[in-house]
Amino acid sequence: MGRYIAKRLAQGLLVIAGVTVFVFVVTRMVGDPVKFMLPLSATEEQREARRAELGFDRPIPEQFVDFLGDLTRLDLGESTYVRNQPALDVALDYLPRTFQLVAFGMLIAVLGAVPLGILAARKPGSLVDRSLTTLSLVGLSVPQFFVGFVLLILFTVQLRWFESGPGPWQKNLVLPAVCLALPAIGRLAMVVRSAMIDELNTQYVKVAKAKGLSQTRVVAVHALRNAAIPFVTLFGWEVIRAFAGYTVVVETVFNWNGLGFMAVQAIENNDFFLIQAIVFVVAVLVVVISLLIDISYKLIDPRVKLG
Amino acid sequence: MRNRQRLAAVLVTVGILAVGCGGDDDSGGSGNGGDSTGGGASEITIALGSEPTSLDPYLVDDGGERAINDNIYETLLTRTPEGELAPGLATELPTQVDDTTWEFKLQENVTFHDGSPFNADSVVASVERIVRLVSEAQTDLDGFFGSITGATKVDDTTVRITTAESDGVLPARMYWLKMIPASAADAEDLSDDPVGTGPYKFGSYQPGSSITLEVNEDYWGDAPDIETVNYEFVTEAGTRLAGLKSGQYDLITNLAPQDVDEAPAFAEIQGQEHPIIILNADAGITADPNVRKALNLAVDKEAIVEQVYGGYAAVDPGQLLSESIVGFNEDLEAYPYDPDEAKSLIEEAGVAGETITLVGESSGRWLNDRELVEAVASYWTEAGLNVDLQTPGFDEYLDVLFDRDTRADAIFVSSSNDLLDADRQLSTFYQAGGIGASNSDEELAALIDQARAELDPEARAPLYNEAVQLAYDQAYFVWLVNNKDLYGLSERIEWTPRVDSKLLVKEMSITG
Repeated sequence: MGRYIAKRLAQGLLVIAGVTVFVFVVTRMVGDPVKFMLPLSATEEQREARRAELGFDRPIPEQFVDFLGDLTRLDLGESTYVRNQPALDVALDYLPRTFQLVAFGMLIAVLGAVPLGILAARKPGSLVDRSLTTLSLVGLSVPQFFVGFVLLILFTVQLRWFESGPGPWQKNLVLPAVCLALPAIGRLAMVVRSAMIDELNTQYVKVAKAKGLSQTRVVAVHALRNAAIPFVTLFGWEVIRAFAGYTVVVETVFNWNGLGFMAVQAIENNDFFLIQAIVFVVAVLVVVISLLIDISYKLIDPRVKLG
Repeated sequence: MRNRQRLAAVLVTVGILAVGCGGDDDSGGSGNGGDSTGGGASEITIALGSEPTSLDPYLVDDGGERAINDNIYETLLTRTPEGELAPGLATELPTQVDDTTWEFKLQENVTFHDGSPFNADSVVASVERIVRLVSEAQTDLDGFFGSITGATKVDDTTVRITTAESDGVLPARMYWLKMIPASAADAEDLSDDPVGTGPYKFGSYQPGSSITLEVNEDYWGDAPDIETVNYEFVTEAGTRLAGLKSGQYDLITNLAPQDVDEAPAFAEIQGQEHPIIILNADAGITADPNVRKALNLAVDKEAIVEQVYGGYAAVDPGQLLSESIVGFNEDLEAYPYDPDEAKSLIEEAGVAGETITLVGESSGRWLNDRELVEAVASYWTEAGLNVDLQTPGFDEYLDVLFDRDTRADAIFVSSSNDLLDADRQLSTFYQAGGIGASNSDEELAALIDQARAELDPEARAPLYNEAVQLAYDQAYFVWLVNNKDLYGLSERIEWTPRVDSKLLVKEMSITG
């Protein structure tokens, strides 16, 4: 197990380094942050001076060598948008808000998907099953920016149950978390449903039932545990997708200014350094989450061999 | 049987959705007594359109930064709500010692939030810090302060500020330079702990979320009414409005014209924003002054005010300067809307049916800018031209605007005026060689130089009057409108907006 983790971490480092270098190349190809830093009325000389100050006047290969050197010290440069702040610090400053959003959203997703999936699986083809399946399909196929605005209009403007914006999480986190959770609920419920249907049709479940175990006990203790592996796989994937994409949309719609929101600002302002730092942070998260999923297989089912 | 089941499934689904959506029958708009606004009566929350990119007032040109720091820091000179220069930390307007030296008398008994005194040493430190940051290309405010060379202390309450050349804009610059304690002179970045002399002290900052300021109990001026002010950063105009309606916010910036009726209350003032079209006077069909005049006559500015800006704008009387600015030419009137005259001028010039390129942008950087250029393009088409309308993203648009080698026929831009001084706008867009200028008129350029160097405010105004008249006669631009600034307000806040668009919390109060 230890060797396996070490090997996976080494692979992860390669992935992170590769992604970071790729982003360096792409950002340097697309443009110039100085255009966005100075006011419209700045003269060309003032822009040139700033480019020189930031070192953009040097040849790209030279900048690249410096970049690699700094990278080994985890120095990703200073953000040009959030002025003078180390880009990695900025990314880490905004990460906790995204963490809150993803954690809360995924909690809602699991709490929603598992009961729904089990409910649907108990009588496949029934009215309940069909209704839940349809709802899941709606949940996972309606675009988040649309659901987001519907939730906003309904619950903040009309009903006033919640607030929108960057305020305290007790009031402002519920809606974005629900919005983030909806498609995940749809997909996860479908996986729970089909895994449960498979499990409930196995011999051991029939034996357990024949022995006189209650339906609840059969489902909760035996079938659910065996259905967990496909569920965990998809769940991990949902968490990764949330960090690496969905939060960008949800944070923007609800003004929950976290890492995804910051990514939009960084891109709009050609902030090379901040884009790099955000991609770096997300890459680290993806590697760690993937590893955790693999390890959890072993915990769920001791027969699984890692490596 | 199967069909019936499917139908039932759909009905159940719809039912669940309907239950989820139910309960919004007593729809909003009424009865938001500001109940959910947190804290005591003297606490307010302001929603800004953007988070400050820095809290160091010496580094960035950023509306979010200013909205907050204008309450923490103070300047030697201020402006009245109508825009006239007035004493601030200086006791009177500066006097001239010679062409490049200005003398300021300072307020006594003013202290910074950290307890250190405000005196000539802090003014010298402030000036020296900005001079250093300009020379190191660290600041975006080069255009505001680049002409200043240094400051010397005469005595504790007298200080002299020097400029490279004679600079009539210096008093306006001192309305912009925020005073920092002497100990901050060598600081690289003041973001972490802003310390000024202003009516509010920096409280706390949650990145991405909010900034809180607390009233400065030892403020040297009149005690403000509001004790605590929270700023939240809300990019989406719709989200700001929703928060205002739900009582979460007391003031929101950049209220959209179409949302005015939705806001519990609102305030408007003729601001400094002027969308215009820069015409290439040096080449192409726009090199002919009669064509440029025709392009002005062809556009119905009144209709644009109503249809693009919902009535919340005024027609720009042909000069890019707002009425509140020294140099505004009262004799100018906007080119009238005369489509027939425009058409015949275009035909006489022999350019009917020719292509004119009009470049705008598509990111929504400025209020309804895309609708605006589309309207202009259709007016020009009616006048008999073939309009090639281009609206690239902001990045690419800036490349066109900044391209000094080949100027596009017509470039849209929206220009504001932070210093409330004519020089910046004119030297950027009117003066040959300016980053947004498309003419090589030497007479105009000389007038702008002359006005900048003129130290007597009484004498500067006629020079600017002359400069804008010259550009008007030559029709170097298509002048369009001057926007109003719109703010959404809660019912309990009382505030009158300023022409310089500063959000000074000390000028706000709470009723009820």
